[in-house]
Amino acid sequence: MFASPYLVYSLIFFLFPLLWATYLAFTNWNLISPDYEFVGVQNFVQAFFSESVRAAFFVTYKFLAMFVPIAVIGALCLALIISALPRFKGLFSVAFFLPYLASGVASAIVVNGILSYNSPFNIWLRSTFGLDINWLGSPVLAALIIALMMAWKFMGYYALLFVAGLESIPKDVYEAARMDGAVGWKKFWYVTIPMLYPSFYTVTILAVGLMFGIFTEPYVLTGGGPDLATHTWQLEIYQQAFERLHAGYGTSIAVINSIVTFASILVFRKILEVWGAKHGWE
Amino acid sequence: MKKRIGYLCVMLLVMVFAAGCQSEKSGSDDGTVEIEFWSAPNPPQQAFWTDMAKKYMEETDGVKINVTPMPESPSSEAGIQSAIAAGSAPTISENISRGFAAQLSDSSAIVPLNEFEGFEELLKERHMKETIKSWKFADGNQYVLPIYSNAMLFAWRIDILNELGFEEVPKTHSEVLEVGQKLKEQYPKKFLWARADLVKPTWWARWFDFFMIYNAASKGNNFVEGSDLIADDQAGIATLELFDKLSKNDLLLTRQVTDPFETGQSIMMDIGPWTFSYWDEKFPEMKLGEKYELAMPPVPDGVSPEDAKTFADTKGLSIYASATKEQQQAAFDFVKWVYSNPEHDLAWFKQTNLPPARDDLSENETFTSYLEENPQLKEYAKNIPNAVPPIDNAETVAIQKLIGTNALIPVIKGEKSPEEAWKDMKEAINGVLK
Repeated sequence: MFASPYLVYSLIFFLFPLLWATYLAFTNWNLISPDYEFVGVQNFVQAFFSESVRAAFFVTYKFLAMFVPIAVIGALCLALIISALPRFKGLFSVAFFLPYLASGVASAIVVNGILSYNSPFNIWLRSTFGLDINWLGSPVLAALIIALMMAWKFMGYYALLFVAGLESIPKDVYEAARMDGAVGWKKFWYVTIPMLYPSFYTVTILAVGLMFGIFTEPYVLTGGGPDLATHTWQLEIYQQAFERLHAGYGTSIAVINSIVTFASILVFRKILEVWGAKHGWE
Repeated sequence: MKKRIGYLCVMLLVMVFAAGCQSEKSGSDDGTVEIEFWSAPNPPQQAFWTDMAKKYMEETDGVKINVTPMPESPSSEAGIQSAIAAGSAPTISENISRGFAAQLSDSSAIVPLNEFEGFEELLKERHMKETIKSWKFADGNQYVLPIYSNAMLFAWRIDILNELGFEEVPKTHSEVLEVGQKLKEQYPKKFLWARADLVKPTWWARWFDFFMIYNAASKGNNFVEGSDLIADDQAGIATLELFDKLSKNDLLLTRQVTDPFETGQSIMMDIGPWTFSYWDEKFPEMKLGEKYELAMPPVPDGVSPEDAKTFADTKGLSIYASATKEQQQAAFDFVKWVYSNPEHDLAWFKQTNLPPARDDLSENETFTSYLEENPQLKEYAKNIPNAVPPIDNAETVAIQKLIGTNALIPVIKGEKSPEEAWKDMKEAINGVLK
């Protein structure tokens, strides 16, 4: 009974919209007209053959391959530094967490300024090394910059989860390991990392899920270009549903996006569980 | 206890549904008609409409106008669409472009303004019969009353042109290329035009690059009429050829740059009147005739510069079909009252710097002294009749995206010839218009 407020909330704000969206995905609704027709699987077929949907699919995995290692390893390093601090752990944790609170639009505008042709950074690169880099004009660099921005934003948040994990490792585990001769790098690799499994699990799943919902950064910085290199699922859904008013089609892409996200998270979950089981986590 | 929590949950559900299902109230018991006016989401425009509504309510009994800025989530168009879908659209709103109005009218979400009694009188009183002609939709109706019309112009750094030996701004494509050649000889690190959006697929960016040049070349060809692509092939290819040559001669900087024109990094820029308040604040040295000149877009060789047209960055008012007839009429009466007095247009002009969409802006005495004080706005006022509003097609977004991805961007990147790009673009657009 105590769970009923949450259940009611979920029913109204998650289940009903989900069912409604699934229904709309089979219609040609244009978002504003009261009239629409049932079109069967036409939207899904169209999405399957769409170049921009295909791009969104692959771009997400490209972001995932860049972002997840950077964010997870970076967050772990930050957490290790914070835990090793003799004082002011809380202060530093909060300081690294602050980018998480920053507006995506504001940080994208700042990055745009830093990477602009006549920014001090680019002028210095040109005058010192003769390097004239078109940061957002190159497909690889544009994607990497967005992945780095996301990592900067979320690393502090993920680091907090790792700090909590590090703090919860019992001291006697380290003592037992020391008596068995595990010190330094060995201690870190064979004791700390496996003991951080719950944090790794949470952070990785959060990071993977995040990659399927990127919108603000490419919307502000690149518009999905160059050559669809930063075109994400959310950009495609927004453009179809709100710019072209193909809400039924946009919803079908959102449904596909949900299925792909769910399947990808399941795969990552399985990989993590296999790794956890090796170290005694069931 | 369990029962109480159960009752609480049921009540919560009922309240949520009740809130969602309640119908919008159109008036009060004393016969007052209440209308919701959504202004553009910027303080000057909101202040103007708030002031107008206040004055109108002082003069007129039985009307209550609530002026609020429209939501931007993440764009004002998306905010309006969400409101229509949620059944919470306003009675009337400004900030409606012709392309967006085409989408809305296609779904019968807005009503034809020409069906209101007094519409012709309004056009006459505001002296806008010529300006509104290009706003007529393919079905013969007028769904938007244009408030302002920015005839988009090009600004040229006249001080740098003088240094290069030119006394006047270039008016034709070959003159532009000649200026470019001299510029590179004297200043290899400067560019003719710095615009990052040139290689971005963003659909609305095409208004300020492709359509400015194309409208000049085609003498204002409509591009699309109804569901037919009627683009002028010769003008289209000439437009792409200009971009092709500018790119090949390293005259375009397609990277993000901060204030390139103001710092002299580039010598030409597409410019609307909103730039001037920014210059007053940050670049007070930017003076008309000393640092820069304003001009219509260049035309291809063989076309008279006198015939040049340009893109009109123009938006207006629309009345929503979801409002009651009573509310719609009250909204129209308010608009008619606002535009029956040129002083209101002058107040708008002063507050926003956006030229009112009137045929007589450069001749009407009401505006003379303001234009004398702000000579940079004169060229905009003069060219209002030469400005072509956006395409009125529900597929405007797709069409303009295809202009970018299939024609302009590949030509600038040197991936396609202008002829090939134009052909590909036409095929793709015809596919969308089918």
